[in-house]
Amino acid sequence: MDIDYNQLMSIGVYGSAIGLILIGLYAVLIKKHLTKIVIGLSIIDAGIHLLFIAIGYIKDGTAPIFSPGGLKALENGQPMVDPVPQALVLTAIVIGFAVTAVALSLVIRLYRHHQTARIDQIKSLKW
Amino acid sequence: MAAFLIPLLAKISKELVRIVPGLVIGYLSVVSVILMTQVINTGQPIIEVIGGWSPPFGINLVFSAFTGFLVSLMTFMAFLIWIYSYRFKKIDDAPAQKYFILFMMLVTGSIGIVLTGDIFNLFVFMEITAIAAYSLTAFYRDRDGAEAGFKYLLIGSFASALMLLAIVLLYTQVGTLNMAEIAQRMHTVPQGMKITIFTLFMVGLGIEAEMFPLNGWAPDAYSQSPGPVGVAFAALVVKAGVYSLIRVIFTLFDIHGAYEFLIIMGAITMVIAEISALKQTNLKRMLAYSSIGQMGFVLIAFGINTNAAVFGAIFLMFNHAVIKGLLFMSGSYLVYNTPSKEIKDMAGIGKKLPLVSLFFALGALAIVGLPPFSGFWSKLYILMAAADSSFYYLMGTILIVSIIEIVYYFRVMGRLYFGKPQNDVILQKPTFGGIVAMSVLAVVIITIGIHPDFISGFIQSAADTLLDKAGYINNVLQSTNL
Amino acid sequence: MKKLFVIFLLAVVGYSLVNALMDVPFGENRIEPGTVSAFYLEKTPTQLSVANVITAIVVNYRGFDTLGEVSVLFLASLGLGSILYRKHKEGEEEVAILKPSSQLVQAGSKLIFPAILVLGAYVFIHGHLTPGGGFQGGAIIATGFLLMMMAYKDYKVSHNILMWVESLAGIAFAGIGIVGLVVSHSFLENFLAIGNLNDLFSGGIIPIIYVAVGFKVAAELTGVLDTLLNIKDKH
Repeated sequence: MDIDYNQLMSIGVYGSAIGLILIGLYAVLIKKHLTKIVIGLSIIDAGIHLLFIAIGYIKDGTAPIFSPGGLKALENGQPMVDPVPQALVLTAIVIGFAVTAVALSLVIRLYRHHQTARIDQIKSLKW
Repeated sequence: MAAFLIPLLAKISKELVRIVPGLVIGYLSVVSVILMTQVINTGQPIIEVIGGWSPPFGINLVFSAFTGFLVSLMTFMAFLIWIYSYRFKKIDDAPAQKYFILFMMLVTGSIGIVLTGDIFNLFVFMEITAIAAYSLTAFYRDRDGAEAGFKYLLIGSFASALMLLAIVLLYTQVGTLNMAEIAQRMHTVPQGMKITIFTLFMVGLGIEAEMFPLNGWAPDAYSQSPGPVGVAFAALVVKAGVYSLIRVIFTLFDIHGAYEFLIIMGAITMVIAEISALKQTNLKRMLAYSSIGQMGFVLIAFGINTNAAVFGAIFLMFNHAVIKGLLFMSGSYLVYNTPSKEIKDMAGIGKKLPLVSLFFALGALAIVGLPPFSGFWSKLYILMAAADSSFYYLMGTILIVSIIEIVYYFRVMGRLYFGKPQNDVILQKPTFGGIVAMSVLAVVIITIGIHPDFISGFIQSAADTLLDKAGYINNVLQSTNL
Repeated sequence: MKKLFVIFLLAVVGYSLVNALMDVPFGENRIEPGTVSAFYLEKTPTQLSVANVITAIVVNYRGFDTLGEVSVLFLASLGLGSILYRKHKEGEEEVAILKPSSQLVQAGSKLIFPAILVLGAYVFIHGHLTPGGGFQGGAIIATGFLLMMMAYKDYKVSHNILMWVESLAGIAFAGIGIVGLVVSHSFLENFLAIGNLNDLFSGGIIPIIYVAVGFKVAAELTGVLDTLLNIKDKH
């Protein structure tokens, strides 16, 4: 039943990645509280990162590290998982964090100014 | 790296903080011009390889005639902006040190976007530019900078998320991140996937390049940020965004209909933006909409896709950076003296601030394309290119839009010179640095207006290089020496 | 009404994503000889003597990206500082954490904190041998600081020290790169001896860079947390 297992995994992983993206998108578009919007943004990022790593997966693959354990796995004929997406995601996660940090600081500034953090009450500029 | 040094230097002397960025940027602009001439003479772009790993395994920077031209433009403008903001009054109140560091990072990011030959690297540099931009937009405490910054951040993050998605999907198809290699392997990608990826890129990059309908963030960002920052946005950031868009379309993808798409989107952008500019009462917002319109114009020119049109487009990018730079610089001083930033309150300042108003008028005349200023040439070339390709409707649209531009710019100038001055306005004269920067720009505008051949050589090489997709691939991949 | 529209939009987005992913079968081996991944997997143990391929990619092959990323972190703390800048006003107190935490938490944190620091340091020093690396290690260390900050209301980390660490680490990274430029004509090229696979000192400049990155990330993350937690506000 090996093939069914892979199918199940693919639905699970891809599904959750897409799910995260959609949930985050929903939060960004619908929610009125600024912090929730920022969290939504973060969730979208998480979803995309997950997706990125997921595509790097190779069936029965092992971690791309040439440690003694890894070398043994190679001898067993196991392929190594694609290292490139992981390296890229590392960078992307850090960048996402930085954006979130700046976003939160902006929220704090807005709160100080308007005494509220709801987007419908902070509308001095035309949307 | 100089950006890291600044906090340390600030401990030594507050003054140093202002000087170091200038030195670095000045050095950079000189270097880039020298490299540019070398590139044109030898006909070969300079490919700088990072980490000793040739492409496609390492990241490479490409300094071709096209990218080099843009970089020279950017560093030149950055240098002028630095002069302009040396003692800009409002920045003196806030932590100046942070401002300069952020500014340098903005410049670094924009240059990186243009020079890189790797698509994930593009993403990284876009983020650098973006975060610096968000922070700079919200720099002042007293204006609605935070709100404009937040809006910019939301929309910008959305753009980067889309870009990332596009890169993810693209990687699964071609297995590489190097732009030259992607271009080579593009034909192996199934059509449906190609269109999806292309759409993602277009929306993501369109947001940065202020394409309709993705430019909602721009007017607020331009109007709420500090004056010199507005200049930086118009001259650097947007150019980098448009560059990425163009690079993706011209070099990476080979979809038919991409060029028509550019023309249509560019035209829509231009028309809607210019009409919105007409309705604006706030000077900086008006300038922002005008910028968006000009970018639309640039997109149209690229879309026409003939050598002459691309030449005009690049020329227009150059002109726009210089002219809009002057407009924003002078505009900031005009607006500074007007409590409500509304145009109707600027009545009669022309008599009180003659130099600044003159600069503004110069910029306005140049941008609507009146001879003998530089703006005239770019419009002319693009119109001629449109005529060559029988795009008559397009020509008509461009001419009508030009008339609209004339209307709203002359309206401002009329207010400036012919209104009754209000007497309760405290005047802020521009600093010495400000005057120097603005004069340099003005001189450039007039010189190139009279003698466009000064730079048309550069621009022609740039245009040729952009269109030469096979050349790009060969040059990059041939430096593989492993 | 708006909700309906948004849900429709989400459905469209979801559908197109699923559609696109149909073309990307899960678990399929896409590492063919022509791709970059094959090259990395092959060359890393031989040419670089580094066990962790991902570390090799992040620090060496795509080291430029990492430099950019480190700059992004730097930018973030800078942006935070500039956005939240406020002239010191009278009568303001810290609002963030009002109640001191319980005795258990305080005692426990004191115990765990050094362990977390060591763990973090281990992770980033061994980045080239085991999973982990500069960013991961730095994040772990910052978490340790976060723990202390949340347990003790008055725990303060000196911003000065953080700033020095951060700047020095950043200069170290860029400096090593420039040395590479001078020595081997290429920015960030490896110029130290390679050593043997799986040794602590293998991989030339890679572990050194990662250590610098670890420090930098730890300093920056802690700085960000500190800024956010110590916001003074009128009550």
